[in-house]
Amino acid sequence: MINAYILLNMKPGNSDKAIEEMRKIEDIAKISIVAGEYDIVVRAQVKSLDRLLKVTDNIQMINGVIKTTTQIIEKEITA
Amino acid sequence: MKIKIRKRYLFFVLAFTSAIISAISSGIDTVAGDLIENYWILSISCFILALIVSFSCSAFFSIPFNGKSIGSMFLDPSFRHIRLIRKKEVFYHILAGLGNAITTIGYFALFYDKDLGRSPSVILPFSQIVILYLVIAESITDKDTPTLVDIQSSVIVTFGAILGSISLTGTISVSALVIVFLVINPGSMLFSFYQRKLKMMKINERPNDAINIRLWNVIFALSFTLLITLIFDIVNNTTNIIDGFIASVQFFGWMFTMAFGTFFSYVLYIRALGIGKASIAQAVRSSVIIFSIPVTLVLSYFGLADPFPTDPILLLIKIIGMIIMMLGISTFALALTKAYVFIKMEPGYPIEGTMKHLWKIKGVNRVAALAGPYDFIIKIHTRTLVKGYERILRKVQEIPGIKEYRWQSVLKEWEDI
Repeated sequence: MINAYILLNMKPGNSDKAIEEMRKIEDIAKISIVAGEYDIVVRAQVKSLDRLLKVTDNIQMINGVIKTTTQIIEKEITA
Repeated sequence: MKIKIRKRYLFFVLAFTSAIISAISSGIDTVAGDLIENYWILSISCFILALIVSFSCSAFFSIPFNGKSIGSMFLDPSFRHIRLIRKKEVFYHILAGLGNAITTIGYFALFYDKDLGRSPSVILPFSQIVILYLVIAESITDKDTPTLVDIQSSVIVTFGAILGSISLTGTISVSALVIVFLVINPGSMLFSFYQRKLKMMKINERPNDAINIRLWNVIFALSFTLLITLIFDIVNNTTNIIDGFIASVQFFGWMFTMAFGTFFSYVLYIRALGIGKASIAQAVRSSVIIFSIPVTLVLSYFGLADPFPTDPILLLIKIIGMIIMMLGISTFALALTKAYVFIKMEPGYPIEGTMKHLWKIKGVNRVAALAGPYDFIIKIHTRTLVKGYERILRKVQEIPGIKEYRWQSVLKEWEDI
């Protein structure tokens, strides 16, 4: 499994609809609306890099998404 | 297609549903307690039926349908089929099973305490003091130290639960208090704490499922109950084990219904444990006291439990207790802040070392080392932003090699559960 964070910058006023779209994307495990430099943080869990590309592609197609920054997780410690 | 939902909602739905089912089961406990001679026999027959029910339900939920198991559609999406436990689970199962056995025997012992009277709404509140035990245990072992809000809410919920139980018909005996504080609640703490650890485990890269955890917990709990009762039987020259097996056949209907309800109640509770802290899941589940009131009313109507108090002052105190409890629960629920911190590092600092430094900070729930513009993302759970700054950000700043960090407060979150 490949895990990645995708950090999104959004056009103002489009978040609600964009999140509705994102909630339908299969390989997305978590969506967080955040306050700070980015607007949304998405956690994707995919089987291959190909699938990750598909997820980022799908996100970029959503109306209101200005920019995506993908960060692949190399190692992780969780509680 | 999977639909993501708000994690917080699911947590409460699970814990409340578990409480409602548990209130009904505890009503049946009262009836069973009336039919069966003593609590040893009741505990044995309760676990025998629990094993039969858990195994049959788990087998039923293992049936595949549309490429998934029935259980994964209705109870726990992580469930595939009944499986043997893994080596890494054994230790936790031993402790959780022992906890369940101790707490069940102790809980049933209270049924036979004449001073307490027979009513689920009287007996249940005593088992809620475990919330305080859990807060203490979590403060020792968990990464997230309880804050003042945690402690306040736990105390509020516990005292609310005690006030809610004011319909006591007599004085509380010392033996009952000893059972509550030294038997039921420590047992219950082991039970909740280690079931949570099991639920948080990954089995084959997937989250552990609540159905197998429940099934195996019952197997271990039955073994410990048999062992403890055997020792008691040998010392006192009694035949409780044999009587327990006979009672399971004799009162099959009642015991089966009780075990059936308990199975679903616990599967949902274990799922809730996988989402929130054990103390909070237990606090929400303590709403069982409220749900047990209609059950007590029904039972007392049929003469199966002691009559419900009609004294207005007692009723008022009871209602105040419940309001306090609900307030405590909502404080727990609302006072949680989550945040991501994105970190960039100076070159020349080993990743492993920095990860360890970050992980040591209390309140840090997840540390991810990344390939991309940032070197680490950490996820933070904290009760207050002040604590987030004082206890977390200051510690992050102290770690050598950190060039830049950005705090991103989470405002709303959806997740696949």
